[in-house]
Amino acid sequence: MVAFRNTDASGRTSGLLLRCVLYCLLALGLIIFDKRYDHLGQIRRFLSVVAYPVQVAVASPFEGWDWFRQSVSSRETLRADKAKLEAELRLANFRLQRYEALEAETQRLRALRANTAEVATRFVVGDIMDLDIDAFRERVLVDKGARDGVFVGQAVLDAGGVFGQVARVEQLTSEVILVSDASHAIPVQVNRNGLRTIAVGTGDMSRLKLPYLSTSADVVAGDLLVTSGLGGGFPAGYPVGTVAEVKRDPAQSLADVEVRPAAALDRSREVMFVWPKPDAPPQSGALAAEQGPAHAPSPAPPGAAAAAPQTAAVPPPHHGAPKK
Amino acid sequence: MALSALVALALAVVPLPPAVDAFRPDFLVLVVFYWSIESPRAGGLALAFAAGLALDVIRGVVLGQHALALTLMAAWATHLRLRLRVFSVLSQSLTIFALLTGYQFVLFWVDGATGNPVTTFSRWLAPVTGALIWPLLAGGLSRLHDR
Repeated sequence: MVAFRNTDASGRTSGLLLRCVLYCLLALGLIIFDKRYDHLGQIRRFLSVVAYPVQVAVASPFEGWDWFRQSVSSRETLRADKAKLEAELRLANFRLQRYEALEAETQRLRALRANTAEVATRFVVGDIMDLDIDAFRERVLVDKGARDGVFVGQAVLDAGGVFGQVARVEQLTSEVILVSDASHAIPVQVNRNGLRTIAVGTGDMSRLKLPYLSTSADVVAGDLLVTSGLGGGFPAGYPVGTVAEVKRDPAQSLADVEVRPAAALDRSREVMFVWPKPDAPPQSGALAAEQGPAHAPSPAPPGAAAAAPQTAAVPPPHHGAPKK
Repeated sequence: MALSALVALALAVVPLPPAVDAFRPDFLVLVVFYWSIESPRAGGLALAFAAGLALDVIRGVVLGQHALALTLMAAWATHLRLRLRVFSVLSQSLTIFALLTGYQFVLFWVDGATGNPVTTFSRWLAPVTGALIWPLLAGGLSRLHDR
């Protein structure tokens, strides 16, 4: 069936072995240089700009279809959408009324404790590009990159809560690792009582887990988890998820806690990049030290990076944070 | 040749529903194999290396990973090409399966060596679907090549 008819079939491929060895050595060299010395940033950046048209070309039919569907949606749908959005806006405005006052108050209180809150002030919205980067890792490509000031380790939110953090920045795009990636961890706090711990991804977009809570820890199903802001990577106070199930096995020292992420990890089309306050007051020594590991390009072992500073953080107000 | 590689590259990143995603054959790898067998002197290893590099950049993995795997396997395919031409469809598919598995194995090994292993079983599904789709893809390519 498959007819190869190149008559040059018997043509020599002399030096096949030699060329193969050469190319393999080149590839191995690239791997080693990229991994060990991180010298290839420029090359990678250049190549990624070359690859950008391909990515756009693949993503554009899907975006075009979305645009087409929107532009032909009926008057009734639009009307219903508008009513719904207005209702949501009204609700959001109610909630916002007290926000300014509360934020000022929080700032004052934190100043009293000589603690500088990383309050996010600048936001940029990015579109998720319709591309499967990797079937085995929970990552997405977003159409904002170094040109827009995105940096590695930056927090990314969506309308529901924390979405993930930036793992890699190219000129025009950036790769965001989701909170549900199996190699991702994020410092969180139970909103009800301030209990601090770490939420770790599972590789399943609908599930996170809290592996470092003891069986006696005060956490129940329905508890809201928010970012604690420790470790400095994420601004404090954004919802991460709600506790779905707590399994306590008396034979184990650690509880088995399942969390449902607040962000719509599998449905979001737009995400928000967050910049910490640009005019934040100078960090105190302890806090600066605490933030060290978080600013290192950390997505590979964020668990370790986030876990380390937690133990060195300010004394817990309520419960002792369970140690790893 | 370049056009088929570009199309295959696009197919490699087109979004699919997560349930089907693990079954996605490595289109670009198959296309590179085809050209390694059909006209190794025109494309061959240079094409394999370039295609691998493109995959590395798009997937955002360590630079050189796919390039290494693809170069090795394309060289092997070139080495086997005279035999492959006279093989029946079934034997061809089986050989391609072996090549694809070797490709995945090199990727797996580099993943492990650079410290972020992906140990899910599903990564070994792609060679199976790749081998199944090979007769169609090679047939289509050779028909296009005729014109």
